Amino acid sequence: MSADPQVTAAARRGWWLSAPALVLLAVGATGPLLIMLVYSFLEPGQYGNVEWALSFKAWFNVVMQRDIFDGTLTFADAHLSIFWRSAKLALLTTLFAFLTGFPTAWFIATRSPGLRTALLFLITIPFWTNLLIRTFAINQIIRNEGFLNTFLLWTGIIDTPIVMLYTDFAVFIGMTYVYLPLMVLPLFAAIDRFDMRLLQAGYDLYASRWQLLRHVIVPVVKPGIISGSILVFIPALGAYVTPRILGGGRNMMIGNFIELQFGQGRNWPLGAALSVVLLVVVSLALIVYTRFATGSEGKSHG
Amino acid sequence: MPEDTAVEVRDARKVYGQGAGAVTALDGVSLGIRKSEFFTLLGPSGCGKTTLLKLIAGFESPTTGQILLHGSDITFDPPNLRPVNTVFQSYALFPHLSVADNIGFGLKMQGRPKSEISETVTRMLALVRLDAMADRKPGQLSGGQQQRVALARALAPSPKVLLLDEPLSALDLQLRKEMQIELKRLQIETGITFVFVTHDQEEALTMSDRIGVMQSGHLLQVGDPRTIYTRPANRFVASFIGESNFLTGTVDGNVFTLDAGPRMEVGQTDGAPATGKVTAAIRPEQIRITSATLGDGIPATVTQTVYFGTDTHCRVALADGTEITVRLQSPASGDVGLHPGSEVTLKFEPGALILLPKAA
Ligand SMILES: Nc1ncnc2c1ncn2[C@@H]1O[C@H](COP(=O)(O)OP(=O)(O)O)[C@@H](O)[C@H]1O
Ligand SMILES: [Mg+2]
Repeated sequence: MSADPQVTAAARRGWWLSAPALVLLAVGATGPLLIMLVYSFLEPGQYGNVEWALSFKAWFNVVMQRDIFDGTLTFADAHLSIFWRSAKLALLTTLFAFLTGFPTAWFIATRSPGLRTALLFLITIPFWTNLLIRTFAINQIIRNEGFLNTFLLWTGIIDTPIVMLYTDFAVFIGMTYVYLPLMVLPLFAAIDRFDMRLLQAGYDLYASRWQLLRHVIVPVVKPGIISGSILVFIPALGAYVTPRILGGGRNMMIGNFIELQFGQGRNWPLGAALSVVLLVVVSLALIVYTRFATGSEGKSHG
Repeated sequence: MPEDTAVEVRDARKVYGQGAGAVTALDGVSLGIRKSEFFTLLGPSGCGKTTLLKLIAGFESPTTGQILLHGSDITFDPPNLRPVNTVFQSYALFPHLSVADNIGFGLKMQGRPKSEISETVTRMLALVRLDAMADRKPGQLSGGQQQRVALARALAPSPKVLLLDEPLSALDLQLRKEMQIELKRLQIETGITFVFVTHDQEEALTMSDRIGVMQSGHLLQVGDPRTIYTRPANRFVASFIGESNFLTGTVDGNVFTLDAGPRMEVGQTDGAPATGKVTAAIRPEQIRITSATLGDGIPATVTQTVYFGTDTHCRVALADGTEITVRLQSPASGDVGLHPGSEVTLKFEPGALILLPKAA
């Protein structure tokens, strides 16, 4: 808002104090990206790594593939379908995390201060354990001889185990579990700032409960919804560990596919090109999403 | 119930909580508010004014008793089904909506056609003189402007009754005076029944058609401002609305004998006992003071004078030690010529003395 101009000016003059951090950020953030970009225009080395020769083959291979037997060119629909599956799973994860995270965040935000602190603490507990271990734990629950199937068999609800492990469903469940706190925390922050008296005003002005949710609560806590969705969608789209452990080899996501190029595939330039594509897709999605989500509200406050 | 009653509250009791911690916020309140009147609920903080408004708005339901709106029982209708709107003390404007959308919110929720909404919004913007602000967000408005948006938003759906819970208490004095006039104008122009809550007696006296005075969950007196001021029903009303001096004495017919000695005739005695000990109230501005110590009247001694600009307040002690305040208009020189120790005589019209009922 309106800060004292002298104070602001004084604060600006001290910018060089943050120079080390800025340098680190600039190098740390742009360095790897530049390397990826450069690698995507090089020849693959025979045993991995790259040959320093300019080549557009990697980029060509992102969209087209040459049949190894007859040499005909076809559209690389495998890449597209992996991209599509990743996007679909990431979107589903974000949506489901929102649908479960919103009531959770609302519940926490409307408790007494003491209980609230305790519940927030519980939400952050999963971060204390390694992601790999938590994902293996889910594996233990949903595999054919896992807790869930054993329990269902024991109760007699089913008589053959439900196959859940190594399906898209498993990846979806795993990612929702892993990323849910990232949705709950920003939503909580937004709901905590929400003035509950607005509900009374809306109710007084003939809004039903559903209309209150749609026309008052959701628009007011929208910044929290946006940050929560971004925090879930981006890591979900590039997820590596969860699809690897719960999706198996067949249900790859783009992260696993890129890793494959750097590993067994020995095609670093293609991996680099795919990474750049992923980056561009995510950036575009973000721009479109924030434009769309802020919509009519966006213009008044800078 | 008479034809012209907008809101009728029948023997409403409201108890918050249970067991040992229960609070009785309303203790048997009955009240009729007429159509198109500016009705004010006046009382100190915590006396149950907000609770009574919440019962009418539907945010709370009475523990026992009934609420009727234009003759039909609405006691258990939720707020969104009552044609009653509220102007909240905190305004509670929707921060994500423009001024125009805030004003149109109620109509939109009612599912009115777009053309009707925009037409009403335009009319409301003009009514509260905010035509130029239609596209602003509430956060970009001053306190007084937000107040007017809150008013327009509550008036837009043409409610049968508009409830206002201390709407002016957050404004500074200047703006408050302006809004008092504005509110009164809006009430007259729209013809909507206003139920206004305040703890400011001056605000209540200047704006209302009728006032209901409340104290700790009870409605003590309902009447027009003149009646409330000149004929307070009890000691609480007499001291809460305006200032009062209280004199004790005995009454016999229409002769009142002060404990301090002098006897005098009194005008009205309704509600007061015809004989025996009573308390009488008299307004500080109704007493005349003369420096002569002769003739009839009440002899007294000045103990203190305080200069207030237009007025000078003079504290005097009667023969039995009772201290009372006399309000004098300050003369051009500013000096009323009285000093601590001056011997004076107090006089007043028989009608100025109000005999109070025994209770309270
Ligand atoms: N939700 C509530 N729970 C418990 N007690 C309440 C509640 N609302 C009000 N009260 C109590 O009821 C009494 C009347 O309150 P209120 O109607 O807000 O008074 P006013 O508006 O005249 O200041 C007060 O003693 C208050 O503490
Ligand atoms: Mg109140």
